Amino acid sequence: MTVPAEVPGDLPEAAVRRLGEGAFSSGLSVPDFAACLQMGLEPVGFTQGYCVMNWQWYGMSPLGGGGFGYQWGGVRGYSEQWSCPHGMVPAEHRSWGQNYEQSWVEDAWATGFTTACTRMVEEAASAGAHGIVGVVDTSQPLSDMGVVEFRVQGTAVRVVDGDPPPDGRPWTTYLAGQRLTKLVEAGYAPVAIEAAVASVGVWANCVTQYLSEGSNSMYRGTTPGAEITQVVSAQMAARQIATQRVRDQLGHDSLHGASMATVQRDRGEGDMEVECVLRGNRVRRFKDVDPMPSPRPTVRLL
Amino acid sequence: MTGLEPIDGYPVPAAVDIRAEVRAAAHALAGGTVPASGRTTSDLSIDEELVLHSIGWEPVALVSGVSIHSVPMGVWNWGQGEIDYASAAYARSFAHATERIHEQCTHAGGHGVVGVRVEWAVERHHVDVALTGTAVRPVGATGLGRDPVFASDLSGRDFALLHTAGWAPLGLAAGASFVYAPRRSMGATMRQSGQNVELTNFTAAMYAAREAAMERMQASAITLGGSGVVEVKVTEGPMEFAHHAVGFTAYGTVVRLVAGEHRHPGARMVLPMDDPAPAFDAASLRGA
Repeated sequence: MTVPAEVPGDLPEAAVRRLGEGAFSSGLSVPDFAACLQMGLEPVGFTQGYCVMNWQWYGMSPLGGGGFGYQWGGVRGYSEQWSCPHGMVPAEHRSWGQNYEQSWVEDAWATGFTTACTRMVEEAASAGAHGIVGVVDTSQPLSDMGVVEFRVQGTAVRVVDGDPPPDGRPWTTYLAGQRLTKLVEAGYAPVAIEAAVASVGVWANCVTQYLSEGSNSMYRGTTPGAEITQVVSAQMAARQIATQRVRDQLGHDSLHGASMATVQRDRGEGDMEVECVLRGNRVRRFKDVDPMPSPRPTVRLL
Repeated sequence: MTGLEPIDGYPVPAAVDIRAEVRAAAHALAGGTVPASGRTTSDLSIDEELVLHSIGWEPVALVSGVSIHSVPMGVWNWGQGEIDYASAAYARSFAHATERIHEQCTHAGGHGVVGVRVEWAVERHHVDVALTGTAVRPVGATGLGRDPVFASDLSGRDFALLHTAGWAPLGLAAGASFVYAPRRSMGATMRQSGQNVELTNFTAAMYAAREAAMERMQASAITLGGSGVVEVKVTEGPMEFAHHAVGFTAYGTVVRLVAGEHRHPGARMVLPMDDPAPAFDAASLRGA
């Protein structure tokens, strides 16, 4: 989620005062701090952004009706239908199924993450920083009532004798220390941290239900031990949506050091939701590739 | 990056004015001209990317493959010998996930996938396998490679070392076997109660599972045309949800010598002088 260019001016007065005082604060380890100084990056302050969101991750309908399952209209993005291969079936038979993108979950996550990130960038911009290094972002539930806190923090730095960032918006990166040094030596400039989430709900049809529960259906059309294709489709779709979403944000830049985390939450009877979060560093090549020579292997005698 | 005279045949990188590089990066971000470059996605670290570049390879795209196969109800609890459904579900899931990551790699223009993270789970009613890695190719290569696409769980560093030594990864090989540990008779249970005695039913089941799994992995490696498997990871033990079933899984990267002969990397032995500072243990002051 690229941080928007507009930096709102709602920074707390105490934060402005603290950042304007003489001593800097930093979340860097001593080796990372030393590496930053070597690179000509002066720490300005330890910046944070928070956003506490209240929403229901599950059961939120686009029409406000609640209830997990098929969303009557309003499904945005990926959607795939699964039909029943059986003929005459009783009413309780799951004669159809659907995979659908849970755009309301994605929107809520994006709002929480982007808001927290924007606030961190706002703090850094107020302190006159050019970038933020060593960014760490986390999210955790604050209670059992659908309240989730997004937290993004990092160390704001200034490039000694360097150009200020465009629009006054500092660049951001998860990297710090020697990793950041090597990134720059390799010819990449950090642009922004990128993150995207994809959430896909699975409303299981009969076949998916039987296969997920391992039950032997009295109906034909369910081969014991077969691949559960509806769930596989949901898993693949979640990964591809998250990847495509990040790629759409990249422009001509690249994503480096990405981390993809996928969670599958079972809801019973084959119903589930798959969530995929993709994070990484957006980087821009600022000089031509200059590969280093083949490194010499060494064996450490300990 | 080469600058100084080579040492023992290895070129020495030129010293870099890192401050000037950082200022150049900041200038580029401020609107300066930047060279044209392709848009790539990668989960490799910068170290891995650099070492890949040093052997003439580059990352292309983040790719993944998933497969989930059902395990019918009741197969874990009673029976004899191998639990065929579970073993087959593992094999098929691994094979299908590999096919899918190969497809994505080919679609992205990669010649292989390195650093594959293998996530797998054997549950009561299904076996899940998910593979995630970075598609790579020789720098500037277009189109498909001469050799089939490969997937490897070797890191970028290990891939480069393998390449330097004249070997190539061919793909992932996997094998698994799940076997019933036969229940003891009531009489045997009573006789063995309270004694230090080996439960041979479990030992035999474990050996049977291991032999079958390792054989399958080896057969998979031979099918790929490899001469061996490196970085083999194994797991073994009773299933959490079925205590009379034991499982053994193994997977690794199939390799083959592609150079005329193995090239010894000629590692230089180094003696680090940075001994770790002895940690002060306050508890030692209290005596024994």
